[in-house]
Amino acid sequence: MAYVIGIPLLTLLAILQSVLMGYFELLDGRADLVLVAVVSWSLTRRSEEAMVLGVIGGFALDLLSGLPFGSSALILLIVTFLVSFLEGRFWEAHLLMPLGVMLVASLTYHMLSTFMIMILAQDISFAYVFRRIILPSTFLNVVIALPASQLASALHYRLFPQEVEL
Amino acid sequence: MNRSNSRSLVAGTLALITIGIMIISIGGYFAPVRDFFSRPISAVQAWIALRVSAIRDTLTAPRDIASLQAEVSRLQSEVARLEQEIITLREQAAEAEILASLLNYARSQPESRSIATNVIGRDPSPFIRSIWIDRGSDSNLSQGMPVVTERGLVGRIAEVFPTASRVQLITDPEAAVNVTLQLARTDGVLKAEFNGELSVDLIDQNAEITIGELVLTSGLGNNYPADIPVGQIINVRRRDYELFQQAGVQASVDFDSLHIVLVITNFQPIPIELTAP
Repeated sequence: MAYVIGIPLLTLLAILQSVLMGYFELLDGRADLVLVAVVSWSLTRRSEEAMVLGVIGGFALDLLSGLPFGSSALILLIVTFLVSFLEGRFWEAHLLMPLGVMLVASLTYHMLSTFMIMILAQDISFAYVFRRIILPSTFLNVVIALPASQLASALHYRLFPQEVEL
Repeated sequence: MNRSNSRSLVAGTLALITIGIMIISIGGYFAPVRDFFSRPISAVQAWIALRVSAIRDTLTAPRDIASLQAEVSRLQSEVARLEQEIITLREQAAEAEILASLLNYARSQPESRSIATNVIGRDPSPFIRSIWIDRGSDSNLSQGMPVVTERGLVGRIAEVFPTASRVQLITDPEAAVNVTLQLARTDGVLKAEFNGELSVDLIDQNAEITIGELVLTSGLGNNYPADIPVGQIINVRRRDYELFQQAGVQASVDFDSLHIVLVITNFQPIPIELTAP
C-alpha cells in the first residue's frame, strides 16, 4: 500500500520540482520536494520502506536531470539510511525534531551532490556553492519540513491506522 | 535477524542495484528504459507546465489590458526580429569591409529550418543548467541540434527522448561555444562560470576589444551555426604576461524567462570522439 501511494507521489513531486521550483529560488537554491518527502516518510514509516522509496524518488529525479542516472537515487539512499538510525528513537519526543533531522539530511544531500559534481570534473568553488546553493536550499527544506512531516504523519495515521489490542 | 541487520541488508541491496543501474546507464545500455519512463513523465510534465504557465500569466498580467499585452507582445516580437535583422546586416557589412572580397558571398548561409517548442521544465538539480522542451525524437530532433530564441543562442540538445529533450544551456559550466567578436574580428571560446556568468577566453592578445560589442557564434568546430548572437562584451581583462585576453559577456537571452525556444533542425553538428592514440 505504501508503495502504491509513494511511487506516484514521489514521481509527481519530482515533476513539480522540475516545473515549479525554478520560480521559487532563494539565491540559486531551491526546495528539494523529493528529499523532504522521503525524509518525512522515513521519520513516520519503517526505514526499509523509506529507503526503497528514496531510491525510486531519486530515479524519478534522475529521469529529469542531467546528472548521471542513478546518482540522485544513490544519494537519497544514503540520506534515508542515515535518517533510519533515528527510527523510533526520539523524533516524536519534540515537535521541532523534524527540523533538525531535515537540516542534517539536507546538508548531507547537497554535500554529496556537490561531491558528485566534483567527481564529474566540474571546476566549482565549494565556497560559492555552499553560500549560493547549499545554504539557501537547506533553509527552504527546513522551512517546509514541519508542514511536510505533519502531512506525512497525518497521511500515515489515516492510511495505516494502528491496531489496538483489546 | 535484528532491525539493524535488516536495515543494513536492505540498504546494501539497494545500493548494489542503484550502482549497477548507474554503471549500465553510463555504458549507454539503459536508454530504452529511460525512453520508456520518460514518455509518460514528460507528458505529465508538459501538462503541468502548461497549467503553471497559465496561472503565472493570470497572476502577473492585469486582465483589463489583455489586448494591449497581446499587442505589446507582438511588437516586442517584431522589434526582436528587426534587431536580429540589424545584427545580421551589421555582421555582413563588417565582414565585407574587412575581407573586401567575394569570399563572404561565397559562403553558403542556408536558411535555418526550425521547430518551435515549449519549455516544460528545468533541471531539478541546481548544479546543472539545462531545460526540458516538449519535443524529442518523435519530432525528428537529435542530439547536438542548436536551440535559439529570437534574441540569440540558448544552447544545444544534450539528450533526446521520444517526446522531450534536455537542452544544455550555454550558461552550464560544461558547455563551450566557439565565438567571434563582431568588431575585433577575433575568435574565442565562450565558457560559463559555475554561477552562470559568461566569459570569452582564448582571445588574441593583440585584439582591440570594445565594450558593448557583439559576440556571435563563429561556427568553428561545427558545433553551432555561425553568426547567432550570444551576447555583448561588458568588461575586458588583459594582462601582459598572459597569452590570451578574457572578456566578460552579458548574454542576450534571459535564461530565467525562457518559455518558447526554436530548435534549428537543419544543422548537423560534427560529433568529435576522442580516439585512443
